[in-house]
Amino acid sequence: MVGQQLVGNLIQGLVLGGVYGMATMGLSLIFGVLRVINVGHGAFIMVGAFITMWMFTALGLIPIIAIPVALIVGMALGFLFFYTAVRRLINAPELASLLATFAMGMLLEEVIKIIFGTEFRGYNWVVGKLTLPITVLPMSKVYAFVGSVAIATLLYIWFNKTRAGTAVRSVVEDSEGARVCGVNVDWVYALSFAIGIGLTVVSGILLTMFIPVGINPYMGGQYTLKAFVIAVLGGLGSPYGAFFGGVIFGLIENGSYTLFALIPGVVPFALTRFLSFVILLVILLIKPTGLLGAK
Amino acid sequence: MRAQREKYYPLIPVLAGYLILFLIGREVTGMWQLMAMIAFYCALGQAFNIFLGMTGYVDFGYVAFLGVGTYGMALSISRLWRVEGLGIGIIPIGLVLAMVMAGLLSVAVGAVALRLRGAYFAIATIGVNEGFRYLIEGAKIWGGSEGIIFSGQMKKAFGKATASALSTFWADVMVFSIAVIAACITIYYMRGKIGYALTALREDEDAAKVMGINVTKYKIIAFITSSSLAGLLGASAWALKLTYVFPPDAFEIHYTVEAIIIVLLGGAGTLLGPIVGGLVYGLSKYWLAVIMPGFQLLIFAPIIIFIIVAFPEGVIGWVKRRIRGTALQNYFL
Repeated sequence: MVGQQLVGNLIQGLVLGGVYGMATMGLSLIFGVLRVINVGHGAFIMVGAFITMWMFTALGLIPIIAIPVALIVGMALGFLFFYTAVRRLINAPELASLLATFAMGMLLEEVIKIIFGTEFRGYNWVVGKLTLPITVLPMSKVYAFVGSVAIATLLYIWFNKTRAGTAVRSVVEDSEGARVCGVNVDWVYALSFAIGIGLTVVSGILLTMFIPVGINPYMGGQYTLKAFVIAVLGGLGSPYGAFFGGVIFGLIENGSYTLFALIPGVVPFALTRFLSFVILLVILLIKPTGLLGAK
Repeated sequence: MRAQREKYYPLIPVLAGYLILFLIGREVTGMWQLMAMIAFYCALGQAFNIFLGMTGYVDFGYVAFLGVGTYGMALSISRLWRVEGLGIGIIPIGLVLAMVMAGLLSVAVGAVALRLRGAYFAIATIGVNEGFRYLIEGAKIWGGSEGIIFSGQMKKAFGKATASALSTFWADVMVFSIAVIAACITIYYMRGKIGYALTALREDEDAAKVMGINVTKYKIIAFITSSSLAGLLGASAWALKLTYVFPPDAFEIHYTVEAIIIVLLGGAGTLLGPIVGGLVYGLSKYWLAVIMPGFQLLIFAPIIIFIIVAFPEGVIGWVKRRIRGTALQNYFL
């Protein structure tokens, strides 16, 4: 009985984990290239969630159409924040970039709050169900998972097969060396930041499939924290590591929830969160390059 | 002897500042609450600055120490109020407990997180803060997510009048005292061996190590000092004043961010910075809340970004640079 429930929850966790992974790729890309931690990460996810919710409820457009819109909005926000602030903080002490990105998140939260208010909202995209022997998955979640895998693959191809992607990789390796070889390092910084933010905003769309009534200006905080754990799991700075870190995290989150629920007198949901931060600390201590890190 | 005394001249403007704030609060009717709020922000910045300003390490989970301190006082009142003959003695017990608990947590966190640097340290400390909060909620420690409400017990233990005086006056006096203590410790550290060691560490940790400086020892000292003061601050400004504690409030990351803003605004690693930062931040927060309630954060956010980009050295950092070589420089640190 418990075994069946566990397997069912793990399948759900796998699907959610893929989306978590995609939602962390932007954070890892930005850290990998610019060495800046985006503490306002969750706020950009929130923006994506609001874009898709607004398009669905006000315009009747399905979330798939929201993806290009979110990507454009996200990249525009990325370029805007990069040229106004982040550019000057790349080599500044952590203090400055941590606080600045936090303030960016705060700014987005407050703007969305003024437009939409603080009550929890949501929408439900009904497109059938996928019935497996053990558990039932709504098709919307399946699409979100497929979307995450597709986006992660596209990023992989862009990174490894195009000129721009090669330039980004060269900056990650050695920014001075790349500059000497004629790579426009400042443009690589700007582009990576914009793509990172764009991916994060898009991931907000995919995440709304899992939170039918959880859309709120301040919803991002918990995703920032989850993204930190996932990014560290996958090795900070590695976008693909982040994707697989997300899958592992989704499995751990759902699996441990099932097991914690067996212990009487505790709150399994909170213990799941506690466990994730224990994992974070353990990995930072014993293998800061992440579970999949090569170095 | 004279040089010995001159070392501590920069304390004069700091102490004068706190005295002026205190007197305005006492003498001008209706100002006490505002001055108490400003004092809280100054004390928060002053305590945080001992670690962040001197080492350059960003503890993003600093609020955890305030939260634990709040629990220290809450536990002491809610568990000991029935004990005969303790009376008002519960308060010092609570303060000591708050300091010890925050200190112990900082030893545990320091042992783990202080091995990490830069971004990794910041992430680890966020993890500790959130992890601790969810441990309390998940394992239902200290009342779990329901927290501890002890206003009734406070009234029964001390009597209505005393309990109310504790919340509305003595808690704030404690906050002022903590700010002054933190300032004294700051200058003592800055003028001592530890200050030089930490300056070397902040500039180049590896070089400092090679020079034979025991960087770990001094980092831990600064970390424990800063955290214990945060525990005291939580016990007075939060526990005694609010007479309840809930995990989501006690571990709210926004307070860490406020502390960072205050330190950065005034100038990280300066003695006078936190009081200037706390004053500017407290006043503008209060003023914005009055003139346009609900929009404070919207206005604050771009201002913060602007300050980081344009004035990374803070007000006092800037002033110090302007007055270098003049007689005033002996009084600014």
